[in-house]
Amino acid sequence: MADLAETGIKTEAKTSRSVAAWVFYGATRQTTAAIIVPVLGLLFWEVAVAAGWFSGRLMPPPSRVLATLWTLLKSGELFNHIGITTARVFFGFVLGTVTATIAGAVTGYFGLARRLIDPSLQALRSIPSIAWVPLFILWFGIFEASKVALIAVGVFFPVYLGVSGAILSVDRKIVEVGRIFRLSGFTLVRRVMMPAVFPAYVIALRSGLGLGWMFVVAAEFMGASEGLGYLLVDGQQLGKPDQIMAAIITFAIIGKVTDSLLIAATAPFLTWQDSYRREG
Amino acid sequence: MLTLRNLGKTYANGVRALEGFSLTVAPGEIVAVIGGSGCGKSTLLRLISGLDNASRGSVELDGDVVRQPHPLINLIFQEPRLLPWLTVANNVGFGLAEIEGEDRRQQIELALKKVGLADLAQRWPKELSGGQAQRVAIARALVTQPEVLLLDEPFSALDAFTRADLQDHLLGIWEETRPTLLLVTHDIDEALVLADRVIVMRPWPGRILDEIKVDLPRKRDRASPAFETVKRRLFKALDASLQHS
Repeated sequence: MADLAETGIKTEAKTSRSVAAWVFYGATRQTTAAIIVPVLGLLFWEVAVAAGWFSGRLMPPPSRVLATLWTLLKSGELFNHIGITTARVFFGFVLGTVTATIAGAVTGYFGLARRLIDPSLQALRSIPSIAWVPLFILWFGIFEASKVALIAVGVFFPVYLGVSGAILSVDRKIVEVGRIFRLSGFTLVRRVMMPAVFPAYVIALRSGLGLGWMFVVAAEFMGASEGLGYLLVDGQQLGKPDQIMAAIITFAIIGKVTDSLLIAATAPFLTWQDSYRREG
Repeated sequence: MLTLRNLGKTYANGVRALEGFSLTVAPGEIVAVIGGSGCGKSTLLRLISGLDNASRGSVELDGDVVRQPHPLINLIFQEPRLLPWLTVANNVGFGLAEIEGEDRRQQIELALKKVGLADLAQRWPKELSGGQAQRVAIARALVTQPEVLLLDEPFSALDAFTRADLQDHLLGIWEETRPTLLLVTHDIDEALVLADRVIVMRPWPGRILDEIKVDLPRKRDRASPAFETVKRRLFKALDASLQHS
């Protein structure tokens, strides 16, 4: 018995060691490998500028970018810009998502609507969205309305495509179960179609949100006195590359944060998914 | 009483899947429909369940003409077709939309007990084995207390052990409330173990070739001489069906 117990302990210790080894050599090694190149690059640039090999005037070293970021942060200026930009993305995202969801649902569900509306929307989709800028300025003026409209256009198309495509690919077999239980019309939509398309809808929202962040820059380029896009333009005009980079880093961070928020908000409704790999 | 009068179905592509199918099934009777592929077996169930409409003839339940899914007719598919976003309990309760609260919970629990899965009520469909999932599908169909239960090759995707187990389960459930069972299958033993009558079909277009009564007491012993005798008769009828095709 004692022998057995001892063997058991040994085995257990071995297993936990091998798990630790796997974590170290597997996951850690991968992230380490991914970080090596950018870290070396940044270090080299820092040293190169400090040693006076390069002036760093157009390509400021990391320390100077961080210092600028800190100054903007301390003065509260950065939060002001983030707030303005986020508000624009938010309103554009909501407007684009709501219209796209309605349009996608209608064209996905009704064959006639699809034949009537979808071709026109596909044609509009192939227009480079920045091409709308001059028209939007004429129509909505130079202030907020034209910016929100441009962001909404950017958000609209991926969400529209996602919704109508997801509805069209709902499994007939599942719909038949609903019909056997005599669901029809809105009840069938609510109890069968909506849950069935939800996973694809979340993905559509995520790509929509990503495009929203892209389009807010274009929108703020067309004349803004506040916002992260303004920081970019201002940095260019006044020759402040460190400010441009600080704004870029901020974009990366809030883009990632909002995407993670979207995932976190929808994850509780998707625990049922039987996927090859669940996202962590 | 389920009455099928001269049922026929021609699909939009011109395929005549079913022709002149007439059958009367008494309440509580178990009828198996057997035949090779292309016999219109699945078409038959789609017409009775109201998922599709007949091109000719009619389906009647107790004098009501069935043209769309009927509250007293339920269909169990070849695959479980559980809704992946609902737990086992909520899948079973899918047809109980109007019933809420304690009443609903009790009916779901009862249906799950009947198929022996009371412990799995809070699981997701993805966590079930094929046999368990099909049992949940049976519970989902039973919970609305249908008068007619249609089964479209319900156990064909399962291994032999699970299949025999579910056939016993189905008979146990049937003995409690005696619904009419109309079962489509291509498994001769399954037809003979379950049914009072076996309808043999022939293909292109699908129609009735022969009908064989199975006058054996349940639960039936597959190895008994009487079972063998009926089986031989059924084989002969199926041979004839193949010669016709």
